[in-house]
This record gives sequence, structure tokens and C-alpha cells, in this order.
Amino acid sequence: MSSEAPDDSGRGAQTDAWGALSLVVSGVLVWGGVGWLLSAWLGNPVFVAVGLVLGMGAALYLVWLRYGRPEPGSTPEPPAGGRTQ
Amino acid sequence: MSTHLLAAEGSGFQSPGPGDFEFPPIFGEGTFVTKPMLIIVLMTLVVAVFFYLSARRAAAVPGRLQFVGENVYGFVRNQIAVDAIGREGLRFVPYLATLFVFIVALNISGIIPFLQFPATSRIAIPLFLAVISWVIYNFVGIRRQGLVGYFRNMMFPSGIPWPVYILLSPIELVSTVLIRPLTLTLRLTFNMFAGHLVLLLFVLGGEFLVFEKGGVVGIAAGSVSLLGSIVLTFFEGFVQILQAYVFVLLTALYIGGALVEEH
Repeated sequence: MSSEAPDDSGRGAQTDAWGALSLVVSGVLVWGGVGWLLSAWLGNPVFVAVGLVLGMGAALYLVWLRYGRPEPGSTPEPPAGGRTQ
Repeated sequence: MSTHLLAAEGSGFQSPGPGDFEFPPIFGEGTFVTKPMLIIVLMTLVVAVFFYLSARRAAAVPGRLQFVGENVYGFVRNQIAVDAIGREGLRFVPYLATLFVFIVALNISGIIPFLQFPATSRIAIPLFLAVISWVIYNFVGIRRQGLVGYFRNMMFPSGIPWPVYILLSPIELVSTVLIRPLTLTLRLTFNMFAGHLVLLLFVLGGEFLVFEKGGVVGIAAGSVSLLGSIVLTFFEGFVQILQAYVFVLLTALYIGGALVEEH
């Protein structure tokens, strides 16, 4: 999250957590909305469910990307099993 | 308060609802000057006078008011601005501190006798404050990173394969542009709305049970309800300060996020 010098910012994980909410809401809304549009268009309700789950998953990945992963310089590629703390 | 009781007389207990947040105009026609609006004006004056008096005779050995003022300002400065933004956050302390005290004042008006209405439970006020915060964090972000750079950093976090951007970028864009101010607004509004409603229910319900229903059961249950409303009032006070803190903290976080340049 921060490319500043570490001593320059006292950003804590506790405060970061508050910022994650809007990402999760946004993920569900965006891809759930796309799924809903597809469902209305194609007449198959399965797209809503897929969209909601996809959006939630993508948002959680984004939360990890923004707030959870180490400094961007140290891990250029997130590992496949990237759920380790 | 007792107007509700009179309205409820004869027809049983009417539980408080969204209608309790609609106030008749105080002067003449229209809905311009209502109780929430008077509370806003009053609290704005209180906040202004508070800051003025606490800073007017700034002394090395602070008086009581200066002590309170300095502590509130210091809290916002150290616990919110520096914590969420870093040293650069010092620039934003005047806004954040004003925002914090203003929201606390409007929230706490919900448990001040005779005011007894949290003006922030009317959605226009948190919405407008959220819009101000929205303008600020977007503005500083664009000024720091440039228009293209701001949106690039926002929508395209580094270190992931490009097809994933199709999935993630819309989420980031909608989150920053739309959902952030929305969650700021709704969180504050409905915390105050729900808190006021619960207080109304306990007080009016207790009042009804004791004075209208009567009897051993009515008086006993009503007394519990009224005593509970006292506890809840303190709890509301806690929630009101906490929600002001959350609003300001998130504003600071968003500003901090906009100032960080990712490469």
C-alpha cells in the first residue's frame, strides 16, 4: 500500500480494515449488477448468482492486494497460494 | 416527547417510526426552518464559539477550555491524521478536526435535553459532509498523481496479470467514486437514525406502560424500560462519538490513499 519510507507513515492494519468495506460492497454491486443485467437479458437467473460470487471473490482478492500483501517491491508476482498472511 | 403520548392516547401504543424524523416547520409555511435545522445552526455556533474561546487566550498553562480544545485537536492530529496519512496528514488536520467536532456536536444533540434529536440522522447532512470529503480526496489525489496517474493507480494495482484487471478495475472505480461517499453517508445516517429510534422506543414505551397501561406489570415493565433508556442514552453517547471518529478516520484514510503513489 505504501511506497513511502516505512518510518514516514504509521499506517496500521486496524485502520486499513475500515477501508476494505467499500471494496467488498463495490465488488458485489458491480459484478452482481452485471450478472443481473445478463439474467434479465438472457432470461437465466444463474448469472446473478455467478456475478455475486464472482464479485465477492474479486473484491476479497482486491482487498488482499491493497491491504494484505507485503511491499510491492518484495513480491512482484503474488504467489498462487497467496492466502498466507 | 409528550406529544407522541397524547397522540397515542385512546388508540393504544403507537411505536415510533420514520415519521418521528419529520418535523413541522417552525415559522410559517414550507419546510425550511425545522427543528433539525435549528439544531444545526445552534451546534455550528457552539462549535465556532468553542474553538474560538479555546484558542483565544492560548496560554502556556492552559485553562480548562483550552485544555479540552487542545486535546480534541491533538487527538485528531495524532490518532487520525498522522496515523492514517502520515506526516503529510498534518496539512489536513484543520479540516479533519473541524469535521470531527462538528459531527460529534450534531450527533450528541441526540442526547442533549430539549434538543434530543441527532441532526445527522437526516441524510442530507452526512451526505453533504461526505461529498466534501469526496471532493477533497479526489482533488488531492489528482493534484498529486495527475488525472491519468490517479485513475491508473486507483484502477490498476501493480503485480497482477492484465486479464485480471477486467475483473478488478471496475470494482476499484465504483468503490472510489461511488461507494465510498455512499458508505460514509449511510453508516453515519443510519447509526444515528437507529439509535434515536431505539431511544424513542424505550422512553415512549416505558412512559406508556407506566402512565397509560398501569397495573403492577405495566409499572414494573415500564420502569425497567425507562431505566434501560438511561443506560442506552450513555451507550448512544458512545456510539455518537465513535461514528464521528469512524467518519473522520475514513476520510483521512481516503486522503492518505490518494496521496500514496504506487508504481
